[in-house]
Amino acid sequence: MAHEDHGAIYDLLAARGVSRRDFLKYCGSIAALLGLSESFVPQIAAAVNHGAKLKPAVWLNGGACTGCTESIAQVDTPDVATIVLDLLSIDFMETLSMAMGEDALAAAEAVFEEPGYILIYEGSVMQGFDGNALRIGGKTGLEELDHAAPNAAAIVAVGSCAVDGGFVMANPNPADATGVKPYLESKGITTPVVNLPTCPVNPEWLVAIVVDVLLLGSLESGAILDKLDDWGRPKYIFGQTIHDNCPRRGHFENGNFVNEFGTEEEALGYCLYKVGCKGPQTYTNCPIVRWNRRTSWCVESGAPCIGCGNLNWVDVGAPFLNRHRDLPLPSVGNTQPGVVAGVVAGAAALGLGLHAVGMKVTGRMDGGAPYEEMKAHDKKRMQKGGGK
Amino acid sequence: MSHPAHYREAHPLIFVFTHWINLISMVALAFSGFYIHYPFFANFMGVARGMHFFFMYVILINLFVRIVAAFFVKSATRLGTREVETDIKNWLPQKLNRHQLGAWLKYYLFLKKDHPIGAKYGVLQKIAYIVTIPLTLAAAYTGFAIYAPFMDAAFFAAGTDWVGGQMNMRIIHYYIMWVFILFTAVHAYLANVEGVAPSRLIFAWKEEEGLRFDADGKVIGGSGH
Ligand code: HEM
Ligand code: HEM
Ligand code: SF4
Ligand code: SF4
Repeated sequence: MAHEDHGAIYDLLAARGVSRRDFLKYCGSIAALLGLSESFVPQIAAAVNHGAKLKPAVWLNGGACTGCTESIAQVDTPDVATIVLDLLSIDFMETLSMAMGEDALAAAEAVFEEPGYILIYEGSVMQGFDGNALRIGGKTGLEELDHAAPNAAAIVAVGSCAVDGGFVMANPNPADATGVKPYLESKGITTPVVNLPTCPVNPEWLVAIVVDVLLLGSLESGAILDKLDDWGRPKYIFGQTIHDNCPRRGHFENGNFVNEFGTEEEALGYCLYKVGCKGPQTYTNCPIVRWNRRTSWCVESGAPCIGCGNLNWVDVGAPFLNRHRDLPLPSVGNTQPGVVAGVVAGAAALGLGLHAVGMKVTGRMDGGAPYEEMKAHDKKRMQKGGGK
Repeated sequence: MSHPAHYREAHPLIFVFTHWINLISMVALAFSGFYIHYPFFANFMGVARGMHFFFMYVILINLFVRIVAAFFVKSATRLGTREVETDIKNWLPQKLNRHQLGAWLKYYLFLKKDHPIGAKYGVLQKIAYIVTIPLTLAAAYTGFAIYAPFMDAAFFAAGTDWVGGQMNMRIIHYYIMWVFILFTAVHAYLANVEGVAPSRLIFAWKEEEGLRFDADGKVIGGSGH
């Protein structure tokens, strides 16, 4: 089937100035991302080529900053990713739909009637104020999700907010934000959820999911579920830490660190561990896939990873330029773990010092006080009961 | 005043070794741990991690050896005696220690003038030593949970999820180090504050004469200098 290469896709590509070679190269990188061998490239190419038969998709915005929409839509140079994403026949997307208001909502409603669509959800699920933290078209955001989720073939939760509440759920979380999966689980709705964290979502991951789930049929076969971890994240994207694949890792191992920004070490591209890089505990493949049309990514461009792909990422990652997170101590406020340890250790040292003075004063330093004749407990009993 | 005699039977040679290994491993782990936590000088990360990953096995094997030896080696179970029993007796409740918790607390708080009667390891001392076992295992668990080759194993990953992720696990691991530092500080203080004879024995295996006790904790001879 690799021969019927003259599908609509190539015209589309040509019209956008993408050569066939670029296209196949791109399919190769998708194959690599999905953990498939080169031999899958023709299959992926053909799948993209025939992608017109895609399921309908609806893109809903929950408690979102629209950053993920931006991330997906920020296309100035059309490329293959755009075209693959164009294949998703998104029937409704608040931000980018041509239709507006009631008409647009009606279009979404029409899709929800027919089971089997793909629901893409951006933003947190705001449960606060009886769901009134978010209202859409006269309904609460919760009602909209309750309505949209059960009939979907699968839900793709894009961005950390949709995964677990993201930055919206950071302390003190007044909107009681959570993610799509935990919310649906609490409601007993069992539609499979594919979680794509990071803030915002990386378009390349959505491409990978479109190809894997929709084009290669891993949803129908159920294979996608085996590729997800306990949190519903595809393991091929979120299975290794940034630190595992970081180009600055050599500097880490050699102990060459940036101590401060604006120094020679920074210019030399040393490791950003000391300025708070969260790469060692962040599971994404940013270093491999990179961002902005595979141009660069946070650490490569000189910024420590702030761990935006982690669960509860703001609370476990802030302050972003410190190695450890802050601890929210009651009545003290946010405190670095090392400060707490230092205070406790200082108090202990003081205590031991004072104790030593006491030992000196009571003359116990040389062998301790004389031994008691009998345990105090036994003595008391003897006095009370007259012997044992 | 009232030095008990320190005889080798209190700490048979194997425990002199296990104690040395504990000390060396702890210093190595805490030093390399501090460095991993915040590399305070350049060009040492590879060595620090290598040290950490080496001594973490050493301390675990040492703990295992120490526990197994408790069932096979005989040692004194009280102060100032050469009589020995199976070492594990030291780690179970002992007659000499019964009802003495309050006495020890009062003694250390200067509310009691005379030295409480006790077994080789007094009540608080024994509790402190025993607590180092779960503490070492907790260091190992949290350590393996942040160690790439092991962290994906369900046994560790479940714990990481439970505490809310890798960052929290690291902080717990870091705090366990501080608990060890506090333990060691108090332990080294109490071991030496009434005289260095205990340390000479456990480190250099050097004996020192002093008071001898019978099985009821009564002084039966020797001099407390
Ligand atoms: C007994 C088994 C232990 C294991 C398996 C273990 C393992 C580890 C691992 C894997 C790391 C992270 C290293 C890296 O990411 O490069 C680490 C860090 C660390 N370890 Fe241990 N360790 C153990 C015991 C200890 C002990 C006993 C101490 C202290 C006395 C200690 C103190 C530390 C500290 C302070 C860090 C740095 C934590 C941070 O700020 O990220 N470790 N350990
Ligand atoms: C500054 C370092 C240290 C000093 C001066 C020291 C001193 C001593 C002394 C004198 C004893 C014998 C107590 C007695 O017979 O009354 C002892 C026993 C013991 N110490 Fe330490 N110690 C040190 C570090 C450590 C460390 C780092 C650990 C482990 C974390 C440790 C764990 C133990 C244990 C478990 C025992 C019981 C011995 C046994 O039966 O195996 N010590 N120590
Ligand atoms: S820059 Fe960050 S991810 Fe890269 S090696 Fe250093 S600590 Fe690891
Ligand atoms: S490198 Fe870190 S901060 Fe940057 S996008 Fe990836 S996970 Fe987020």
